[in-house]
Amino acid sequence: MNITFWGVRGSIPTPGPECTGVGGNTPCVQVGCDDGTRVILDAGSGIRGLGTALEPGGGPLHILLTHLHLDHIQGLLFFAPFFDDEAEITVWGPPGGGRTLRERLARYLSSPLSPVEIRELPAQVSFRDVPPDPWRLGDCELSAALVAHRGPTLGYRIEAGGCALCYLPDHEPGLGVDMSATPGEWISGFGLAQDADLLIHDCQYFDDEYREHVGWGHSRLADVHEFAVHAGAERTLLFHHDPGHDDAALDGMSREATQLWSANGNGGEVAVACEGDELRLASS
Amino acid sequence: MQPLELILARNLISTISVAALLVDADRRIIFFNQAAADVIGAPFEEIGVLEPQEWNAKYGPLGPDGRPLPEEELPIAIAVREARPAFGRFAVRAERGVIQIEMGAVPLTGPRGYHGAMLVFWPLPGEESSG
Repeated sequence: MNITFWGVRGSIPTPGPECTGVGGNTPCVQVGCDDGTRVILDAGSGIRGLGTALEPGGGPLHILLTHLHLDHIQGLLFFAPFFDDEAEITVWGPPGGGRTLRERLARYLSSPLSPVEIRELPAQVSFRDVPPDPWRLGDCELSAALVAHRGPTLGYRIEAGGCALCYLPDHEPGLGVDMSATPGEWISGFGLAQDADLLIHDCQYFDDEYREHVGWGHSRLADVHEFAVHAGAERTLLFHHDPGHDDAALDGMSREATQLWSANGNGGEVAVACEGDELRLASS
Repeated sequence: MQPLELILARNLISTISVAALLVDADRRIIFFNQAAADVIGAPFEEIGVLEPQEWNAKYGPLGPDGRPLPEEELPIAIAVREARPAFGRFAVRAERGVIQIEMGAVPLTGPRGYHGAMLVFWPLPGEESSG
């Protein structure tokens, strides 16, 4: 499983020289499975760069949306394969409110917010709610579950080739619960993250910033650590960086995280996810 | 893994000071908070998950004649059957004897359907009797 980060920022794209190291595009992660299955996690502004990099004719594309907050869908209209009439794209997303995923996305992809309507996209696009049970795309087994965030929000787990990736970009599992004293089955997202080889997890806030943002649906560093240790994640990448955190601030977060993970042990490795990062998960 | 609706409900009732229980879709009592533990006289960690029959045999609810109430008359049954909050007044066996309580049941239904219910109850003042 090859993983490429096209957008790691939360909330709003954050251009500017002070953010070029980590990157300013909103969430988009490309997952390429060894059998050729092509999965894209979220469609933030980072998906624009991915769309231009993809070779046409590479087979079906599957876009897995965690939720429909703007920072996770704002790149859809700028994803080049949507304008290729030979492209076959399935957009998966959370169930919600008695309206189809297509209807919900059309609120954004329609006038006056958009010059192009969903029905005008030349590609062969289908929209599907994620199923309640695990499902397969090629050699990948996927599972999704609603997680603690504002509004219906999914986390995903992708297993292939003996490896497991967990994607929880917007997640506040520590809200109202002492995770260290709580069985895993009572912690949001735990089942998706358990024993993952790679955990991509929301870390929008430093611990001191969190006090002003409790209940906003995002995590502080200490809670990410607690969650990752509890779940037994081998490697954790901190994700959905606050727009107010420039490269210097995220360098500081990286140092704090490294100290935290190494001091407490059993938490595997940790790093700050950066746009352009590429890594490979393979069973040893 | 518990559904998010139950996880968040447990987080909420762990935090509040009103006595509250959480039941799953099979009506098993899967959690109750400290305020409820104060009423019944034992913490959840000691009691653990209870089947509805076990709970009813131990704590009630009881009708005016002291016998267990028919299950279909309980707020939880009404809440599930009619997909709406339901309320009721009845007696339960508490640590300090049989007491009268008022209970409200709220069904926890999400995009994936019904997952259980949150039950909130409070002793009615001045109606305590010896058990």
